[in-house]
Amino acid sequence: MLVKEDGSPLREEDLKPHNAYIFFYPYASTPCYLINLGEEVKPVDVKLKDGKTYKWQGGVGSKKGIVAYSAICAHQWSYPTKQYSFINYYPPDKPSETTKKSGIIQCCAHLGLYDPKEGGKVVDGPPEVPLASVVVQEEGGKFYAIGILGVDQFNQFFDNYKRELREAYGSTAKAKELVDKCVVMEVSKYVGQVIYC
Amino acid sequence: MQKKGKVVKRVKLQVVIVGGGYGGVSVANQLKKENPEVSVVIVEEKPFFVSCPVSNHYLVGLMDFGSLCFSYNSLEKKGIRVVKDKVLDVDFGKKTVRTSEGYIDYDFLVLSPGIEYDIEKRPFYKESLIYNPPAFKPGSEHIFLKKLLDEFEGGNIVITVPPYPYRCPPAPYERAALIASMIKKNKLKAQIFFIDANERPVINSEGFLSAYYELYSDIATYITSAQVKDVDVGKRVVRTTHGEFKYDLACIIPPMKASYLLEEIGLIKDGEKWVDVNPLTFETKIPNVFVIGDSVQSYLPKSGYAAYSQGKVVAKLINARLKGKKPEEEYMQMVCYAMVSDKEAIMTETSFRYDNTNKRFIPTHREDNKRKEITAKRYEEWAKGLWRELFG
Repeated sequence: MLVKEDGSPLREEDLKPHNAYIFFYPYASTPCYLINLGEEVKPVDVKLKDGKTYKWQGGVGSKKGIVAYSAICAHQWSYPTKQYSFINYYPPDKPSETTKKSGIIQCCAHLGLYDPKEGGKVVDGPPEVPLASVVVQEEGGKFYAIGILGVDQFNQFFDNYKRELREAYGSTAKAKELVDKCVVMEVSKYVGQVIYC
Repeated sequence: MQKKGKVVKRVKLQVVIVGGGYGGVSVANQLKKENPEVSVVIVEEKPFFVSCPVSNHYLVGLMDFGSLCFSYNSLEKKGIRVVKDKVLDVDFGKKTVRTSEGYIDYDFLVLSPGIEYDIEKRPFYKESLIYNPPAFKPGSEHIFLKKLLDEFEGGNIVITVPPYPYRCPPAPYERAALIASMIKKNKLKAQIFFIDANERPVINSEGFLSAYYELYSDIATYITSAQVKDVDVGKRVVRTTHGEFKYDLACIIPPMKASYLLEEIGLIKDGEKWVDVNPLTFETKIPNVFVIGDSVQSYLPKSGYAAYSQGKVVAKLINARLKGKKPEEEYMQMVCYAMVSDKEAIMTETSFRYDNTNKRFIPTHREDNKRKEITAKRYEEWAKGLWRELFG
């Protein structure tokens, strides 16, 4: 279940439109972004380069505008830490200075761009697969993260960040603990310096 | 050629890659990622990988040398064989690479051997190499130059830039800025003479020039369109078309050309310095023989990231041929960052998509010339990302 910092269930009205929120799912150390896109986001088929496709569910909530994605860049696995986040959501009124695009999730390290309205499809740049999406379900006004859809990057994430994860979580086992309640908070509250470009 | 010595025969379809730099390692990774069945062999002389990108950080103490070094063992775990050996010759007819130890058969050959200093006809450069390390080939030259910088207590520094093209366009300009920044920080009494054979910085011109004039004009002089005529290591003087400059420390960067190997195996035309390839596929005139990286004549600049990007294109093409499929749409990207002080950086991104209908490349070029601390942080993440993918 997605909860607020005080432990109470997260409600739709807690999510300001076009604000990015962070939570950790399915593991204690794997970050995801939750974004209220403020308008209905329809389901789409997401096609991979090998020809396989999967159906992305679209947005949830009363307006069907709430979406969630893994915040681990599918290119070279940049992710939001307590110090920095190079991969971020750019709301419509705050386009990227570099690419001039908005309404996208963009990683500033190598300028990989993903479309949160299209199941995380790659808009531009070097990523070869879309951002993995989080399947969110709404039941009685509460939100639940129930799965990951697409090509997740968790193996590469755990392989590449052994030292960093041990430092942040005390042990690899702790970093890999499955999460039951996911605390949702504003990205700027978790990350020291949100790096936009 | 007759086969003598150790013979690495192909047991299944085999791709042999000459050179374990950014280009070679990128091809190998991408080949295996898409097609675990293919046999991939990298032939590399050096025992481990040292990154040239970000090495200017090391020269001025912003990064330790160990951070630039990576073991090839991580590639073996992915099923990529790394043979530590020197390639002496290639028999294109028999599809065989001759090394100092023996022979390796190939079905596809990717040559990514990097650059050489173009110094045969200019003996003064040869002598200068011994005293004034250019540090444009990764490894000991960097360690030597760092030692000279660490021991420098004041006086004149001369840095020279060769005519373009050379490896890593922003690198000399970044190095000059970082050395100037270090001098100011350490409050040394010194003057830098930065002598450029080109008219202006060949990339991020605006960003570099504003940094030079706004941050370093009291200690550095930027001299453009000046050719080096001689380096007198005895008198410690650099003679140029724009006068003589006495130095206490010098970093003389010679002109560059493609690796000797490519000349020896006949892939470079007489009087030329780089290898001509098909601009879309990086294939030479010999089918299934490719050249990538700094050795190639390309629309992309010579840089580690461009080599990495070219490596992906070639790997996808080889896998498509192996599987009898149509290759993917071409996409090439080059992202370059450069420090202009010990805390701030500027950047450039150039990408090319191939428009199959009109048979032309559609380029996108973006420069961010405003120096920023966040760009410096992105720079570090840019490098770490590459290392994660290639050696993680």
